[in-house]
Amino acid sequence: MARSKFQVEVLTPEGEVFNDEVEMLSTRTVAGSIGVLAHHQPLLAMLDPTELRLYRSESEVVRFAQGEGYLQVADNRALVLVEEAHAPEELDVADLEQRLSQAEETLKGAEKDSEAQRVAQRDKRRWEAFLRIARG
Amino acid sequence: MASQRDVKQRITSVQNIEKITRAMQMVAAARLRRAEQRIAALRPYAGAIRRMTRQAAAAAENVPSLPILNEHESVETVGILLVTGDRGLAGAFNSQILRAGLQTAAEHEAEGRNVVFFASGRRGVSTLRFRNREPKAEWVGFTDRPSYANARDIAAGLMTAYVDGEVDLVEVFYNGYISPLTQEVRRETLLPLQQATILDADPAAEEGEEREHARSLVEYEPDPEEILHRLVPDYVEISIFRALLESTASEHGARMTAMRNASDNAAELIDDLTLEMNRARQADITQEIMEVVAGAESIS
Repeated sequence: MARSKFQVEVLTPEGEVFNDEVEMLSTRTVAGSIGVLAHHQPLLAMLDPTELRLYRSESEVVRFAQGEGYLQVADNRALVLVEEAHAPEELDVADLEQRLSQAEETLKGAEKDSEAQRVAQRDKRRWEAFLRIARG
Repeated sequence: MASQRDVKQRITSVQNIEKITRAMQMVAAARLRRAEQRIAALRPYAGAIRRMTRQAAAAAENVPSLPILNEHESVETVGILLVTGDRGLAGAFNSQILRAGLQTAAEHEAEGRNVVFFASGRRGVSTLRFRNREPKAEWVGFTDRPSYANARDIAAGLMTAYVDGEVDLVEVFYNGYISPLTQEVRRETLLPLQQATILDADPAAEEGEEREHARSLVEYEPDPEEILHRLVPDYVEISIFRALLESTASEHGARMTAMRNASDNAAELIDDLTLEMNRARQADITQEIMEVVAGAESIS
């Protein structure tokens, strides 16, 4: 049986990438994976880089590689604000590998507890997540 | 007087230049339109981040103290970020940023503060280097089409320098986009971030209903304070991204104008040269007729 649907909007600084009704949204907050169905209670969550899945129906799934961001649910609408969202087929494995190794390099050279170290750690986590998606 | 052939050659070369400048003008116009759309595309995102911050701040009762919000006790070193383009041929676009930045640096130094430069765009980097002002960090190769990731890199570099105490204040200079014909140099203080900028209600979005949401039944994951820890630095990223986008739009606008002027000048030059060539041709013909007449006279 089809589930009831709700409106989901995915916004990035480069514009809107998705705005449609879906049955379920699945992503990952800093606390762990989360699936949102229609009539979810109001929520404000911080998202980690992962694969964002939007289920138009059980078989039709729209996927994005999402960067860090936020998820807001209110009035049976979900707003996904992410720094970047790419279709998985747009990802370039070689480019990501290079970015990852660069982040690891920076991380090695960074001082303990410095801001530089935190930034490199964030970068490393993001490129690792994107690489996992790119490799399927 | 120049011979006909010389003038003809000059006309051909000016015509070629005109073709190039017209093409550049057209390319700049197309890119300008895209750049304008990208500025518009950022607005909903920036607005949503602002609403979310207010909601989280209301739930957290106050904004936690974050290193980038704290003013340093004394300002000894000022960081100056210059946002320029990777390429020239855009009128005063690059030079006015560099002039403003170097002038401000001189003012700070006159008051006994150190200045470190950060540069975005090849033009800024090369000019700073030429002036013996080695930039502390540089970001190049994207000014035609900056992505948010570029802004994030720049923001990370600046915030790191601020939090780790290498600079006590960060100012940014960029070309604000007003219209294709008008750009103005904008100077903004990026760090420390003012609490007012974050919580300043943007009157259009201020709704009582929003406040209700903040307190009632909203589930936070993690708690609002921690969400703010990440939301606040986003402001710096967004400010830089907006500066990059406006700078790109300004660059294309400035280049379009510069190239239009160049094309107009070329067209004018071609007119003048054509006139000169006609005159030269006329003179040649007159000369020939005179020679023929003189020859005929001498025979008869």
